[in-house]
Amino acid sequence: MAAAPEVGTILHFPRHVKYWRRNLKTHLPTYYTENDTNRMMLAFFTLSAEEILGDLDAALSPEERQGYIDWIYHCQLPEGGFRSSPATDLGTARDDKNAVWDPPELSGTFGALLSLAILGDDLQRVKRKGILRWLSAMQRPDGSFGQILEDYGRPPEGGYDPRFCYMAAGIRWILRSNVEGPVEGVPDIDVDKLVQCIRERETYNGGIAAAPFREAHAGYTSCAISALSLVDRLPLQSSQPPDTRLRGLTKPHLTLRWLVSRQTLTLDNDDAIDTHGEEASLSATYCSGSPPSDSAIPELPWVGINGRCCKIADTCYSYYVCTSLHILGHLDLVNAKPIRRWLLDRTQHLVLGGFGKTPGDYPDILHAYLGLFTLALFGEPGLRPVWAPLSISQRVKEHIESLPWRKQVASYA
Amino acid sequence: MTKFYHDDPAWADIEPIPQDDTGHPLVAIAYTAEYSEAMGYLRAVMARNEHSERVLALTEHVIGINPAHYTVWLYRARTLEHLSIPPSDELRWLNPIALSHLKNYQIWNHRQAIVDRRDSCEGEADFIAQMLDQDAKNYHVWSYRQWMVERFGLWRDVGEVAFAEEMIGRDVRNNSAWNHRFFVLFGGRKKGQAGEGEEEGKEEEEKEKEKELVQREIEYAKQAIRQAPQSQSAWDYLRAVLRHAHLPISTIAGFANEYNDVSPPRSLHALEAQLEIYAEQNKVDEARSTLEALAEFDPVRKPYWTYRQKELVVA
Ligand SMILES: [Zn+2]
Repeated sequence: MAAAPEVGTILHFPRHVKYWRRNLKTHLPTYYTENDTNRMMLAFFTLSAEEILGDLDAALSPEERQGYIDWIYHCQLPEGGFRSSPATDLGTARDDKNAVWDPPELSGTFGALLSLAILGDDLQRVKRKGILRWLSAMQRPDGSFGQILEDYGRPPEGGYDPRFCYMAAGIRWILRSNVEGPVEGVPDIDVDKLVQCIRERETYNGGIAAAPFREAHAGYTSCAISALSLVDRLPLQSSQPPDTRLRGLTKPHLTLRWLVSRQTLTLDNDDAIDTHGEEASLSATYCSGSPPSDSAIPELPWVGINGRCCKIADTCYSYYVCTSLHILGHLDLVNAKPIRRWLLDRTQHLVLGGFGKTPGDYPDILHAYLGLFTLALFGEPGLRPVWAPLSISQRVKEHIESLPWRKQVASYA
Repeated sequence: MTKFYHDDPAWADIEPIPQDDTGHPLVAIAYTAEYSEAMGYLRAVMARNEHSERVLALTEHVIGINPAHYTVWLYRARTLEHLSIPPSDELRWLNPIALSHLKNYQIWNHRQAIVDRRDSCEGEADFIAQMLDQDAKNYHVWSYRQWMVERFGLWRDVGEVAFAEEMIGRDVRNNSAWNHRFFVLFGGRKKGQAGEGEEEGKEEEEKEKEKELVQREIEYAKQAIRQAPQSQSAWDYLRAVLRHAHLPISTIAGFANEYNDVSPPRSLHALEAQLEIYAEQNKVDEARSTLEALAEFDPVRKPYWTYRQKELVVA
């Protein structure tokens, strides 16, 4: 089985370390300006990649580590919650009337908490109650979450799709474990409504969409499944005793089928054009599947993963699809080896390190992180074990669970 | 064209607020001098809650460089309200920006709010079509079109169905277009629309019409599959219509067989449909041999078909 193609297929470890250290220690190139208000998530990806590579301790002096922790706390707002970037910081001019332009933001808060945990902080300086109250206020009557809150009493702005359900569920898991109902006088989000919100976004072919009846998309599917996992509302296994709680994924078999159908041999735009021509003439290079012309089918060299039906493969979807399957306990239903080879042979950047979106692309922080995480999920030697629901290392997950204040909160369950 | 404010007399009264990124900043970005300065002025006018014409120009400047900035859009929206700018003016401004930032979510969120305030979707379908000419499967653009259908009640609208048909005609594997077709025909019909509160006879008539529609859509999907037997989108649509109408999968037994009576089969999806037919009829041995064929001819999903074989034994 493991024949010729395996030989050159390796994770170029030192190059990835170099790539992530550069992201950590030097200014990001100017084209990241369009991600300026997304810095906390970029920080999380960078720190978490270093953690998964096992390079974080070597990369940071104690002073730097403390410096980063302080920088993150500087993004915390007096009322609780974190801004995504110093870009909105009004400094000493901030007051009650203009605070609306410098608000806590959902991905900023999510990324800040995870980044602090990776850096080994105990989250004692986090305004936990403020965040949890704000989180409840960010939930809409339909169960969805906003991105920012202009004013208590006004509907939240933005958000809506399962990415925001995911980040809300993640923040909740970090700050109050999975205890349902009020804790220490702070109300819980409406978990049933969150589940309902996701159920309504399940599509006719088993995926999950941004909004009801929109098109199934692997990114939203992954966020939805992770969110359900974090609030412990995935379908029960047959071995588990039944309960009366509302659960998500109304058609789990259809969802599994949709997830495994994201595997594709259409790996770049040239393939897409080929497939199109052949399909029109019925000689069929399969949209999902290979030509059945030869009965002695060789082992597949590369299998990519797409995010929607009949689209080309993209590194980030390897993460979205594989974490989903992993959480559902079915990562064995995809072709681990050919997927690994696709990432390492085709989208890994051999000079700069990291991973690009499609073959030949330069690496970027998002795809480089998600490609690395996918390999870790498959148990790539040299990478630390990972925990899929929050896409962090197992070590960081255990650190969060070990914090004394959190143990106290978890004991209310 | 770069624009600075420090030498512009119209901005002389503003003291910019520089970004506080001291200490050990994480993932600091190499900003251009232009962006740094514009952001400094933006923070300063936000701190004053200024809502003026010059503020609109400044938000336009920042949006042009960083369209994902989440408070600048809200700030612009509140400024528009303050200045009573008509929604049509804002849409005219927004059009070229949307065309140059096709993948940006905030732009569509903003457009939605403005069209909602205008309370008319006039011109929107044409604008969306123009966007889809550039990127026929763009998720945000299709999402926006579906919002428009919901907001303005365009269920089963002739124009919307024709539009989906045209897009599918251009590319039979455009899954977004198939999804739109399903949505418009079977998706979001809310209470108070078809059927409710109508007298008996009409209800029968409705049912008959519904049946005809389902038949038409089954034929439509079959026609597309004949062009491209491996189009997952068309097969998924066909199954969805059957499920929506509570019809058994064996409804398409003859059709699936057209593709399965040769080896190798001409469509894996037809073979999968055959599997479902056997499963529906409790024909375990036939289902098993079909699963074996799927594992052979569909190597990409081989682990999945093998798993289904094991499930079959358990069940
Ligand atoms: Zn991607």
